[in-house]
This record gives sequence, structure tokens and C-alpha cells, in this order.
Amino acid sequence: MADIDLYTAGTPNGQKISCTLEELGLKYTVHKIDIAKNVQKEDWFLEINPNGRIPAIVDKTSGTPQRVFEGAAIQLYLCATYDTQHTISFPYASAEYWEMLSWLTWMQSGIGPMQGQANHFYRYAPTKIAYAITRYQTETKRLYQVLNDRLEAQRGAGQGLWLVGGKYSIADLCCFSWVNWAEWAGVETQGFAAVRTWLEVIQRRPAVRRGVEVPERFAMKEAMRTREGEEEYAKHHSNWVMQGMKEDEEKHK
Amino acid sequence: MASIVQSVMGSAGVKAEKPIKLYSHPGGPNPWKVAIILNELGIPYTTELMDFGDLKKEPFESVNPNGRVPAIEDPNTGLKLWESGAIIEYLLETYDTSHALSYASGSEKWEAKCWLHFQTSGQGPYFGQRAWFILLTSARRGLSQYHSEKNLTSCLDRYGNEIRRVLGVVDAHLKKTGGEYLVGDKCTFADLAFVPWHWLLTSPPHIMGEGFGKEWREEYPQAWAWNERLQARTAVAKAREDRQAAMQAGH
Repeated sequence: MADIDLYTAGTPNGQKISCTLEELGLKYTVHKIDIAKNVQKEDWFLEINPNGRIPAIVDKTSGTPQRVFEGAAIQLYLCATYDTQHTISFPYASAEYWEMLSWLTWMQSGIGPMQGQANHFYRYAPTKIAYAITRYQTETKRLYQVLNDRLEAQRGAGQGLWLVGGKYSIADLCCFSWVNWAEWAGVETQGFAAVRTWLEVIQRRPAVRRGVEVPERFAMKEAMRTREGEEEYAKHHSNWVMQGMKEDEEKHK
Repeated sequence: MASIVQSVMGSAGVKAEKPIKLYSHPGGPNPWKVAIILNELGIPYTTELMDFGDLKKEPFESVNPNGRVPAIEDPNTGLKLWESGAIIEYLLETYDTSHALSYASGSEKWEAKCWLHFQTSGQGPYFGQRAWFILLTSARRGLSQYHSEKNLTSCLDRYGNEIRRVLGVVDAHLKKTGGEYLVGDKCTFADLAFVPWHWLLTSPPHIMGEGFGKEWREEYPQAWAWNERLQARTAVAKAREDRQAAMQAGH
């Protein structure tokens, strides 16, 4: 039986890994990293991820602990080690595998960083800079358009509404984890019909429904239903984000 | 050093007989990550320098749905790939059978992947944002119509701090392990992936200012020495020179 420690927080990157673990039916122990207290910068955690970010895992199953950091590396490691039936991945070095890897890399160097910057300037930055908000929301929408075009093309080619190989895989899951937070970045998904259908299908997966509730209740969508809820949620999250940033700035002055 | 014949024989028995086509651009650092790996492994390749205007339309969009470089076409396997991180993993798996730049198994194999993914999600995007705001603010300096949107200092600061943080992460890691490279005791693809973005710090457009080399050397000495070692490699020097030649040719 698997023996995996997951270090995480309730963010898109964190939820992506808990969802992957749930999809694979693996046993794991959740360690909530309190970003408000900068736990991710403590020495013991830097031993697990030298970059001081969540998510990270330590797999103790084989007896020799293996640390893995960076979301895509973790997803690839978990599938290589435990998804021997290829339920959410593809055989190593197959054409589908490389296509899946392209989308994983695209997400983590595109949607993740760009939507993350939109979050920063739209939600957290103390001064509102119109140029920066527009730049990153627009870039996020450009990437959603690429996703939408791909899904439509795949459906048109009889491959279903999935990014690679005619089935749901970690390529879909990693993109999903960010698109599922679109409203937080102030990005409308209205114009992306294929993405919206795809999103709703993935949201209904039992493993995903469990995974997004790790390490705590996923309250963003509910909070966003009312103006007061949105403000309250935004205030709470701005505090810890800005605090972490300030500490980084001082360290590297 | 492994012989060329040995290093271009793939694990699946694939030989790099026909040259790989690399879609590139001199301005962006990412295609040059791939050029470095191709140089290191002695894989024959041709470079097609693309105009930005041709990236977001056919026929290129069929190679890369994201409309960006790099992308490759490998006639030896019939595969088209995009995203530099994915291309690098593919080239290593297919052609680095003697594991000159990679590890076959064990902890190092996964550790190298972690660092590569850190580079593609943590280094590239943030260096890129700094470059964007540097080019934007310098372009706006003679354009009076943009003066209403004047204060982008906080954006520059945000990404400048992130560049320092990334160099700090590498520096601390090398200090802790006492090694010369990120993983194990040899240079791997993970180290090499960081190289082209460093060019924007040490040569024009000097996105952290011309004096930043001194700060880097003093504040992050292990990371500085690491970069010096990497820049001295023949394969890296060749990519650097090819890029400069392409820029001078007016691309």
C-alpha cells in the first residue's frame, strides 16, 4: 500500500495533486502548509522543496523516501509509479505521452503563471494598475482560447472532449485545476463553450470532488455568489499573500 | 565524451539519421534551450527562424496549437513536439541512451525532472515578465501618449524580486549540496535549461540593469559560478553565437 506525504494548501496547484492522488486511489497523508505563517520557507520544508512552494510530496512506499516537487513532476512521478493501467495517463514514450507532456508543460509555463499574475494584480496588489490587470487577464483568455480550440478540434476528430488521446488524463486535470479558479482571476469563461462543458464534466468526477476539498473546504465558489462573501474571501487571502511577498522582498533586498 | 554515434542512438533503437527541424526565433530564449540540448547530444538539426507574424496561423499552428516557438519536427520518429520542457524530455529519452545529460533511474532521475519543471514554471515566466516591462517602459519613453499610464515601477519591482528569489533558490541548493550542478555529480539537461534566460541578465537587454552581474556574483556566488561553468561549455557557446548571428542578420 502506498505511503505518501502530501504537503499542500487549498490552491489550484495544490488541488491538482490531491485530485491526482484521489484519481489513482492512493493512500496519502495530508500536511496543510500554512502559507500565512510562511511555513513553506522553513528549513525542514526546504529539504522537501528547495523552491519553498506547495505542492510537494514524499513517497515512503518503497522504504527509501523520494521527494518530488513541482506539480507536473509530481503528476508524472505518480503516474509512472502507480498508474500502471494508464487510467489517467499514457504509456511512457508513446506519441500520446509526449502530447500529454506538452500540455502539462504548457499549463505550468502558461496558464499557471499568467492566471497567477492576474490573481495578483486583480485581487492582491495594493495599488490597482489597469495595464497589468488587463495584460494578465487578456493573456489568460488567450490561453483559454487555445484550450477551447484544442478541445473542439479533438471532439471534431472523434476524440471526445479531452486534450489527448480520446480520454481524460492528467493533462486535462492540470488545466482544469486553474480554469476551475477563473472567476477568482476575474476571467469570464462565457465565451469558451467547449471549455465550459469540459469543466463541468471534470467537476462531477468523484475523485475531483474529493480532491478539491484538500486540505480544507473549497469555499471560493460559494463565497463568490455574494458581493460580501467575495470581499470577505478576498480580504482573507490578500493578507497572507501580501505578507509572504513582503518577507521575500526583505530577504532579497 | 561519448562518441557521436553512441550518443545519437536512441533507447527505442531510433537513430538521428535525418536532421530534426527546430522552429526558432533569435529574440526569445526558449528555443535556444532546445538548441543547446541538440548541440550537446550531437543530434543533426536545421533551424527555421520564424517571423512572429507567422506563429499564430497555419501551417505553424498545426505544429504548435499555442503558436509559440520552439517546436520541433523529428523525421526519425515522425513526431511533432512543442513546449521546450517537453521537447527536452523527448530528446533525452529518445537520443541520450548513454545518459550523458540525464540519469537512467533512481532519485536523480526524478530530481532532474523537478528542476526542469521549476525552470519552465518558475524561472522562464518571471524572467519573461521582467523583460516585458523593461521593453515596454523603454519603448514608452519617447511616446507621449502613454504618459497617462506612467507608474509601472511596482511591476518591475515585483519581477525583479522574483529573479533574485530564483537565483537565491539555486544558490542555496548548491551551497547545501556542495555540488557543481543541480543534480548528482554531472551537468544535466536541468542545468542547461536555465542557461538562455541568464543571457538576458548578462548581455543586452540587461533586464536587471548593466550592473547586475556584480550583485549576482556577490549575493549569489554559487549560482554565479554554476552559470559560468555552464556558459563555458562548447554546446552552450555555439548556441549563444548562433543566436547572436541570427539577431545581427536582422531576424
